Amino acid sequence: MATKPTFSNEVANLLHAAEGNPLETCIQCGTCSGSCPVAKYMDQTPRRIIAMINAGLKEDVLKTNTFWYCASCYQCTVRCPSGIDIAEAMYALKRYTMWKNQYKEGLIGPTFSETFVKTIVRSGRSYEPLLAPTYIFSYGIREFFNEALNATNLMIKGRIPIIPPRIKRLENFRRMIAHIIPLGGIE
Amino acid sequence: MTEKIGVYICHCGSNIAGTVDVAEVSRWAAEELQSRGVVIARDYKFMCSSLGQELIEKDIKEQGLTRVVVASCSPHLHEPTFRNACARAGLNPYLFEMANIREQDSWVTEDKLEATKKAKALIAAAVGRVAHQQPLNSLFVPIDPKVLIVGGGIAGIQAALEIANSGQKVYLVEREPSIGGHMAQFDKTFPTLDCSACILTPKMFDVGNHKNITLMTWSEVEKIEGYIGNFTVTIRKRARYIDQSLCTGCGVCWEKCPKKVVDDVFEASMAKRKAVYTPFPQAVPKFPVIDRENCTFFIKGTCKACQKFCPTGAINFEQQDEIITVKVGNIILATGFDLFDPRRIPQYGYGRLPNVYTSLEFERLSNAAGPTGGKIVLRDGVTVPKSVAIAHCVGSRDKNYNGYCSAICCMQSLKFAHLVHEKTGAEVYNCYIDIRTPAKGYDEFYQRLLEEGTHFIRGKIAEITNAPRTPEEEGKLVVQVEDTLIGKQRRVPVDMVILSCGLEPRHDYKEVARKFGLSCSADGWLIERHPKLDPVATMTDGVFIAGACQGPKDIPASVAQGAAAAARVLSIIGQGEIEIEAATAIVDETTCVGCTQCVSSCPYQAIEFLTDKKKAHVNEALCKGCGTCVGTCLPKSISLKHFTDEQIVSEMIGAMRVMKSFETVEVA
Amino acid sequence: MKQYLYFPGCSLEKIALSYHLSALETTQKLGVQLKELDDWNCCGATTYFHVDELLAYTLTARNLAMAEKEGSVVVAPCSACYKNMYFTNVHLHEDPDLADHINEALQEDNLSYSGKVTVKHLLEVFSHDIGTEEIKSKVIYPLTGLKVAAYYGCQILRPRKDHENVEQPQFFEELMAASGATPVEFPLKMTCCGGSLLITSRPAAYSMIHNLLYNAQLAQADVIATACPLCQVNLECYQQQINQEFGTKFSIPVVYFTQLIGLSMGIPPKKLGFGKEFLSPKKAIDAIKAVHTQEEVIAQ
Repeated sequence: MATKPTFSNEVANLLHAAEGNPLETCIQCGTCSGSCPVAKYMDQTPRRIIAMINAGLKEDVLKTNTFWYCASCYQCTVRCPSGIDIAEAMYALKRYTMWKNQYKEGLIGPTFSETFVKTIVRSGRSYEPLLAPTYIFSYGIREFFNEALNATNLMIKGRIPIIPPRIKRLENFRRMIAHIIPLGGIE
Repeated sequence: MTEKIGVYICHCGSNIAGTVDVAEVSRWAAEELQSRGVVIARDYKFMCSSLGQELIEKDIKEQGLTRVVVASCSPHLHEPTFRNACARAGLNPYLFEMANIREQDSWVTEDKLEATKKAKALIAAAVGRVAHQQPLNSLFVPIDPKVLIVGGGIAGIQAALEIANSGQKVYLVEREPSIGGHMAQFDKTFPTLDCSACILTPKMFDVGNHKNITLMTWSEVEKIEGYIGNFTVTIRKRARYIDQSLCTGCGVCWEKCPKKVVDDVFEASMAKRKAVYTPFPQAVPKFPVIDRENCTFFIKGTCKACQKFCPTGAINFEQQDEIITVKVGNIILATGFDLFDPRRIPQYGYGRLPNVYTSLEFERLSNAAGPTGGKIVLRDGVTVPKSVAIAHCVGSRDKNYNGYCSAICCMQSLKFAHLVHEKTGAEVYNCYIDIRTPAKGYDEFYQRLLEEGTHFIRGKIAEITNAPRTPEEEGKLVVQVEDTLIGKQRRVPVDMVILSCGLEPRHDYKEVARKFGLSCSADGWLIERHPKLDPVATMTDGVFIAGACQGPKDIPASVAQGAAAAARVLSIIGQGEIEIEAATAIVDETTCVGCTQCVSSCPYQAIEFLTDKKKAHVNEALCKGCGTCVGTCLPKSISLKHFTDEQIVSEMIGAMRVMKSFETVEVA
Repeated sequence: MKQYLYFPGCSLEKIALSYHLSALETTQKLGVQLKELDDWNCCGATTYFHVDELLAYTLTARNLAMAEKEGSVVVAPCSACYKNMYFTNVHLHEDPDLADHINEALQEDNLSYSGKVTVKHLLEVFSHDIGTEEIKSKVIYPLTGLKVAAYYGCQILRPRKDHENVEQPQFFEELMAASGATPVEFPLKMTCCGGSLLITSRPAAYSMIHNLLYNAQLAQADVIATACPLCQVNLECYQQQINQEFGTKFSIPVVYFTQLIGLSMGIPPKKLGFGKEFLSPKKAIDAIKAVHTQEEVIAQ
């Protein structure tokens, strides 16, 4: 009879390349959160998130913005005295929330990520203008105008693509993706 | 002549009897193994008890048994017990064999039928073997009562005094010009805050003046040969270029010496010494040494200021190293530790940012005899810090550096916090992961530091930086750490940071281990015979370890180990002679071809090649009976007593015969 | 001519076009030919990994498989592309099951990867493969007196690949010194610029960018040299907004290291993509002009 995996197990399962990651060996020293350049914007510091995972507090973890604020700079990972890849654990939690479609309200990360991946699947390359709507209205009027101004400047300097690029063997590419994610893909 | 073998099967309560049908096995042994020499087979609840042993003794005397097999637990536990029982009844103890039907059978087999079958096979094996065993006698070697102690730190000093006070002679060899070790560098010791030099120097003087201690400083052991009770040690006494019979220790030579050198040993590179120097004023012995690598005379051939001004003419540039050979019976290694180099952690800024200090640097800073006369000031030599951060666990408990805990850093960090409070009134921030204060008075010391107003931040420092984020941080050292108890990242601006660096084995630990025939753990600490029950002995008889070379520890533990090693040595000396296990290798000189393969393959260097006879010869006192030489000998001239080919093959046949008979039964 | 396969990455097509141009110009002059990988697809940056690990590896593996057909070394100028390709390569080596699974999917595009490609970052090619001695020998107009803050960014150094020095490397500074410039002490040289946080968590990114600019200013840098398009955009294009937000007056030009090296080798600025920046490095570089009497460095 299969037993229900604990939250700790679930996270470990999402860490394929990091081989499950030894999150349970965390000694809660705080080096990761001490090194994190974004820690002060997170609801809970990365160290706390690991403690919460080890304690099985799934709902509490999923409610935080911590992992969506991770810049993936890996400073925590290279310094961790227990050899835990904290940045990868943050990726695992992002994947978990995308999979469960359950994350803190108001986060731009999830929608942005989804849109980005859809763009790639569509054409094989990224295309900035398509991504703008995911965030351009989220930071208030002043930022909207700033961004619009920036975009215009970049366009004048020839730094924004007008025509969305495509790879040549797009059909093969799409089939390749469907092979990996068989259930309808991300279309 | 057929032997008369007695077989005794232990129930061991239910440990064996719960799985193995002991009554059946007993019956089977008496009947089926009769043709192999078994005349009596018994089973009993606890063979190791005095009643159990009496059973064996009675049968030996009354039945005239010539061999005994006990089927019970592991020989590691009770082989000596049963061997002694046989000896008491007049049977040579090497005519006894054990069959392990507990650890190798009942404890690892679930099926009772299988377990019983296996027990039978194991007993048949033991019976087969024991029939071919020969009576052997242990070797007794006399003990030279002199003792060599290597390392003149607190552990070595304690051991030396204990042994010397008992009337025995000690050679104390120390690499530096003076004894004292790291303890001589410290300012105050925790938790009593005794001045380190004040409690150490009386012991140092005792050592220096003791009639039973031959002190050899500025010396190193070059070679060790021999075995317990009979070591021959070659020591190089390096040339001091000072005639000790003339020198009065007046100090004129180092006053007049024009050459200054950074003292990277005693003063932790915080101060300079001269080319002719004693490491510190209370040095024992008081004689200075000339550092020939930095002495102007040795480099250019000029100066000789020391010689010109020496009132007794004690400077002798012609002096040579002396090679001394001594004979000792026992050796104690007390070589101490080296400090972790925090340059390996670049994000802590040591070496790049001036006001980041190591623990030893801070000890010298705070020491009244140190470079600043005990004033705690920054590298500019003038500014008193107003805020100090102390980092715990630097290079310890970290898979990237050393995974172990260095045992003393928490107490040391608390001590530093106290000294900073006392001398400067600065704000002190101790950044820790755990507070480890296990021994007497230690946690009370932590309480005291709390009362003194130390700021404790539970979090390992992530980085120490001079890169400000706001104008207020400009010009300061900033400690970035997560205060895990409140869950927030903090940036604490400070003037000075002290790194409590971890302890590491001496940099030449591999060489030392090889020289003394010892093993090291993966981290480099010397390995004790048993981590719990025998922390000062090693697997090499006659060589003991004490103090930090065995693992990080504080002063009381080092002193205790020094005394413990001394006690062990004195007990060996008290016995006068030592028994060597009889299961040693022996060379049949008639078939030995003199190829010397065994000589080079022996891990204990116990075999020598006799050049006159051109044959190999085993030194029984050094031989540990590992059997490596037996494997390498092509003409099969070396055999291992108590483990002959005949004995081992009979053991195998005994077991296989039984296992095969079971098979045929099942097929049928 | 040494040949490497070249994976420009999506950013180098437009937003970081100057990086692309200067990379091709400088490598050619130094005897290295960069041959663009045919029909490469987006590496996924960090974003693929937010959605599905296996998908992310597959998409990068496609590029590795195509590279394997054409050569043995692929060079990525963008740190994010580099990190993805490097570690996908490592994982495909270490986990044969993963490799099998992905190779199955790659068959849909008639591709298969057997692990024979080495991935390098463009900065690595300059500092280790070409070497500072070679570069020094080709310098005609040394950028003497130009104070450069060599900004590594994060994903070129981390995660750790071997036991290399990830906390205090010096190779970027040495490269800048080779072109005659003066690298300044820049303690935050490996601190993250915020990357995609600029989009998903702008206030956090702003504070990170502000720290970097503040420290570059304290170090008195004339320009910041970068090796990644995300870093360049983050540091350069938002200085106005940072000034608004923090009340500062930053105006530090941010260029690509290849542009600086190219200038020192005498390649005309237009060819190196100068003129496309928000903040022109003209003032700083004109100071050098005085030393060398070059032609007009930048046409505004």
